[in-house]
Amino acid sequence: MVSVLDRKVLRDVWALRGQVVTIALLIGAGVAVLVMSVSSFLSLRGAQQAFYAESRFAEVFAEVKRAPRTLLARLAEIPGVAVVEGRVGGEARVDWLGAEVPVAGRVLSLPASGEQSPLNRLRLLAGRLPEPTRHDEAVIHAAFAEAWQLRPGDEIAVILNGRRERFRIAGIAHSPEFVFTSRPGNPLPDDRGFVVLWANEEAVARAFDMQGAFGEAVLTLAPGASEPAAIAELDRLLLPWGGRGAYGRRDQPSHRFLEDELAEQRTLAVTVPLIFFGIAAFLLNVVLGRIVEAQREQVAALKALGYPSLPIAAHYAKFVAVICLLGSALGIAAGAWMGAGMLGNYRPFFRFPEMPYLLPAWLPLVAVTTSFAVALLGVLAALRRILRLPAAEGLRPPRPAAFGGRALSGLGRRLPAGAKIPLRGLLGRPLRTLLTVLGIALAVPMVVLGLFWWDAMDSMVELQFDRIERGDAFVALTDPRPSRAVREMARLPGVLAAEGQRIVPVRLRAAQRSRLLALTGLPEGAELRVPRNADLRPVPIPHDGLALSRRLAERLGVREGDTVQVEVLEGARRVHDLPVAALVEDIIGFSALMEIGALNRLMREDDLVSHVALRVDPMAAEVLWQHLAERPRVAATNVKAVWLRVFDEVIAGLVLTSAMTLTGFGVIIAVGVVYNSARVALQERGWEMASLRVLGFTRQEVSRILLAELAVAVLVAVPLGLVLAQWIVELVLGARDNESFDVPAAISTATFTTAALVVLGAALASAVAVRRRIDQLDLVAALKARD
Amino acid sequence: MLLRALMTTAADAAPLAGAPPPNDEATPVFVARGLCKTYGSGEATIHALRDLDLDILPGEFVVLLGPSGSGKSTLLNILGGLDAPTSGRAAWRDHELTGADEAALTAYRRDHVGFVFQFYNLIPSLTARENVELVAEIARDPMQPEEALALVGLSHRLDHFPGQLSGGEQQRVAVARAIVKRPDALLCDEPTGALDVETGKLVLSAIARANREVGATTVVITHNAAIAGMADRVLRMGGGRIVAIEPNARRLAPEELVW
Repeated sequence: MVSVLDRKVLRDVWALRGQVVTIALLIGAGVAVLVMSVSSFLSLRGAQQAFYAESRFAEVFAEVKRAPRTLLARLAEIPGVAVVEGRVGGEARVDWLGAEVPVAGRVLSLPASGEQSPLNRLRLLAGRLPEPTRHDEAVIHAAFAEAWQLRPGDEIAVILNGRRERFRIAGIAHSPEFVFTSRPGNPLPDDRGFVVLWANEEAVARAFDMQGAFGEAVLTLAPGASEPAAIAELDRLLLPWGGRGAYGRRDQPSHRFLEDELAEQRTLAVTVPLIFFGIAAFLLNVVLGRIVEAQREQVAALKALGYPSLPIAAHYAKFVAVICLLGSALGIAAGAWMGAGMLGNYRPFFRFPEMPYLLPAWLPLVAVTTSFAVALLGVLAALRRILRLPAAEGLRPPRPAAFGGRALSGLGRRLPAGAKIPLRGLLGRPLRTLLTVLGIALAVPMVVLGLFWWDAMDSMVELQFDRIERGDAFVALTDPRPSRAVREMARLPGVLAAEGQRIVPVRLRAAQRSRLLALTGLPEGAELRVPRNADLRPVPIPHDGLALSRRLAERLGVREGDTVQVEVLEGARRVHDLPVAALVEDIIGFSALMEIGALNRLMREDDLVSHVALRVDPMAAEVLWQHLAERPRVAATNVKAVWLRVFDEVIAGLVLTSAMTLTGFGVIIAVGVVYNSARVALQERGWEMASLRVLGFTRQEVSRILLAELAVAVLVAVPLGLVLAQWIVELVLGARDNESFDVPAAISTATFTTAALVVLGAALASAVAVRRRIDQLDLVAALKARD
Repeated sequence: MLLRALMTTAADAAPLAGAPPPNDEATPVFVARGLCKTYGSGEATIHALRDLDLDILPGEFVVLLGPSGSGKSTLLNILGGLDAPTSGRAAWRDHELTGADEAALTAYRRDHVGFVFQFYNLIPSLTARENVELVAEIARDPMQPEEALALVGLSHRLDHFPGQLSGGEQQRVAVARAIVKRPDALLCDEPTGALDVETGKLVLSAIARANREVGATTVVITHNAAIAGMADRVLRMGGGRIVAIEPNARRLAPEELVW
């Protein structure tokens, strides 16, 4: 049986449907963000765990110049090591006529048995593994195969160690090592420009003169085994054979990028819904509080009729529950839809054989519970005020709201009386005004948060590619060469300038923290790579010490002047203590820099270069890429223009989605606050406004008086919101934990302007909706008692 | 200045056609002929007014007396330009009230009518003076707000907010607000309905004084028969009709009323 009060709940919901819907949307937005970010995080995590388990993804990785296969048995005896696999790998360059620039790649060996590797097993999407006897068959990575629409049976020509080899594609596969693939040094996937091939051990070993040897060891550890201990022992055993330093999954490029994204997603899954629910709780406090407040006479009447407080409180809780359920249902549906969409956005980045969308049953429950708790919190204060009200209040004739005090009566003395009404409304109830202003203001950061990514991308590109990396192409050599290689390259047609760099893998240590990365040697006065400090001024390249990325220094816990230990993971693997001479800004990845001569002396080597940065005449670029592709000593060529195009393609979709979602949320907030404030104002003061109409005020005049208060609130709120936006963007970026990108909190004027206009527009639309109700005021009712 | 301009322009308030005629004692200002007002339909039809005729003379003080449901509020609403009859006609001088559009009725109320409500309907955020000023700002030839408040005996309460005034004082502010525009008609709906006797008398004398000194044709509706003594004419209503017209030979001062 439906009680009378329950019927009142339904009728109240219907009567206040405009407000109910706008508040439900607000709750729905919070729920949607929560469901979206948590579910996409869980789905990505789920895909990762499933694939890692299925494919037996290794936990420790080591590279060595050339170690005999017999050493593998010794490695397997290291305490804590479960499985060891030795393999041969190398750089591959692909002659791919369709590609505008040479395709870079890696080739890895598969066991001689012709069976799956014990670790890092491939998941074949099509075809099969190469026959054990065939040396001209290969499996290629699914990303490249998809990008070029390659099928088993197609042929691919690869330059391995300077020799051209042809492979027939036997199969197409995913690999846990290459969930995220990118050309070395590029933080974004370029499926068309990077390939991984797997071929029989014999074929790869022959190409790299590695018969009977291995160049890479991958391991898993027994449960509970110490990874650092295993790595230390591995390093000790591999050192005589040219070991380049073993590392854990944490430093495996694909895994690290994926973890970065997961960490970021986890942060966003907490911070953004928190911000959102915070705003929602606050708005519900304002809006629901006022709706309940507007019913104070009804509550008093119910109490006078003998209703105990509890059922009355329960009645309003039910009213809130209806709104919450409505909002949650919308939010869960929208969140699931957006979560699945978000996962779709990940697909170009992360190659899993399966990435099913997961929405665990507890998530909607948590979302509903949270929204209900937040909403209840919002109305609690108002409910308590009302329940404390003596019942007699409802039976008394209406009393004018308390206004008074000399300060108020002096306010705006010279203004017309009609202008004093909104002014006093604003200043007479400062707390309510403050809450309204804050509520509207909070809509601005939502829109800014959505739009600002475009600015961030622009400034990232500007800083990294116009100011720091000033070359048009970056060429990796197969091995370090004397510096005359730079002069030779400078003479190639189309090259305007060439600068050599020496890049060596190192492990940096500071106290307990360590980090694998590339140490780059730059010539003094380099113009194609200009390190810059926080003020974006060029930093001279240090001769006696390192220049470190500021973010790297933070991670290592070192400051300028501190000493870090540098273990060179190449050649004799010497260890040096070097001072941090300068801090530099980097947008993408971390860097450690020193003068190239100093680096070569550190290595006790001659004047060597391993990479060459080029400035290129755009008219001659295509010919140059072909030229470079034919040079045997060139391992890979990265072209800035291609990189920027990939960046645009990959990032634009992501940014557009988030911009539209968050702008939508901003509109929901702005409409939620303005519409509800206006409706409540009309509820509270409709009688006053009808009286003015009876006294001869026109509809326009009355609307102005009622809406002027909100107009002032909106005009104060928008600039405040812009300030809040800067602050919230910094807060969200500060909560990020991503090594791949540093996103600068640079918000453009256009973004600020758009956000302000969106909020103003939403406010205006809300005002127009309420204005129509003002036109329908019942004048005759004003002559009678207010209800 | 801008705000002032905003508050005082009356874009949708167009004056009714026709200039007012010379104030001829014999010409009635309010004329109603065959006024009918029904609410609802079928068996649930309520006849608030049934074929009512009425003339009210310039400057006259009329009391509409009757029980609730007798139609007196409906009649006042039609005379005040707040409601339209179902049939029949009502006019203020040569302004037809029946059939006039919303903007014309707003202009009529603005230029000619002062209202006093049962529950005062003051703006709580404005002081007594400012509540009066509010109407003065949109009037053509208002008196000073202070002058209007002096007429109702509230010169000493100018800067008090409604919340700081007693019910009687609030109602006198409402009277001052109604007369500050020097209205041609002063329409009062149960002005003492929410007040005790003594306070009610103060309000009634304010209304009587306004009627006398501003010369506004005054219509007061009440169900309190004691008030009838202060009228020029008492119109008794019942069942949507005027059932009796009782002229008073002598108007009593409010202090003389007994109820």
